[in-house]
Amino acid sequence: MVLIDLFVTFMKIGFTSFGGMSMIPLITQEMLTHQWMTADDVSNIIAIAEMTPGPFGLNCATFAGMQVAGVMGGIMAVFGVLMPSYSLTLAAAACFARFKKSSVFEQILWVIRPVCVGLLLSVIISLIQTNYFDGTSVNFFKLGIGAVMLVLILKFKWSVPKVIGLSAVLGILCFGGYGLF
Amino acid sequence: MNRNNVKQGIQLFLFFAKIGCFTFGGGWSILAQMEQEFVDKRKMITKEELLDIVSVGKSVPGIMITNISMIFGYQVAGWFGGLCSLFGIASPAVVILAAVTLCYQAVRDNQWVQYALTGIRCAVAPIIISAVISLGRAGLKDAFCVAVCLATFVLCSFLGFSNIGAVLTGLAVALIRMEVKKHGAH
Repeated sequence: MVLIDLFVTFMKIGFTSFGGMSMIPLITQEMLTHQWMTADDVSNIIAIAEMTPGPFGLNCATFAGMQVAGVMGGIMAVFGVLMPSYSLTLAAAACFARFKKSSVFEQILWVIRPVCVGLLLSVIISLIQTNYFDGTSVNFFKLGIGAVMLVLILKFKWSVPKVIGLSAVLGILCFGGYGLF
Repeated sequence: MNRNNVKQGIQLFLFFAKIGCFTFGGGWSILAQMEQEFVDKRKMITKEELLDIVSVGKSVPGIMITNISMIFGYQVAGWFGGLCSLFGIASPAVVILAAVTLCYQAVRDNQWVQYALTGIRCAVAPIIISAVISLGRAGLKDAFCVAVCLATFVLCSFLGFSNIGAVLTGLAVALIRMEVKKHGAH
């Protein structure tokens, strides 16, 4: 049943992710393998989640759950992704003093952080394929917008909402305007 | 659970719901607000205690800021306080995103929205690239880390490894590494 499936999937995502963007690869893969979303939808939700307040993981869970199975789907996905918070974290809070001194989790993160970076790198590769290519040929408009945004973020330190706003305007000008001529 | 617990729980819920409304792009601004409210204004905890909570919350899996809210609430008012804080911080995000999703579904098929979304999708890879750069700076501290990162990339991009599988493999590698280090020290 799809509601239980959503809960279980987002619970898996919750337990195997460590903060913010490191959730993107996991969510992308789960959405595509379950065929709950298209690659375009996944890119849209990443942008939307970045522009709205609240933690990225919750935003994604709400959006994905609602897209798949309406309001109940959203609720199930949210409860799933929050699972670590009211199990593991509650346990950590209960034995906080001991937990604070233990370096076990820090040592695990020493390995998990590089794994997350590797996962994000492979997500970037697949995003480049879906977002800048039409079939097998490069769309130079799209690549151009991407290049401009990269420079604005890295060199001019633009904030994410500004970048997304400008790329929406450029998208309307390039692709809408292109159709008019 | 007595009346006082319930009152504290409601207070925590309202506080976290309030700060949950105004947090764009990640958890760090929430931390600044928690410091202002609980350390400076109400003096409920010290700055060091808050930092401890953050470092534990960061190292358990899941969403960092909900983990931190949970631990904080637990310390103030037990498990009920923890749950109130957790649902307080989560509810604005969920309500806002529910509204956004409905709007998205309503306008998605409009042609001009399509053009804008096509443009927006072009910005997603650059945004993630900048995140990878800062994550890489924080996380790739020695040759071992770089090797793990490259191995993950190759396994997932070219050999069809699942992402969850990669994280679980990483966990196993971490446990083995800890054992090896422990025996090396003797």
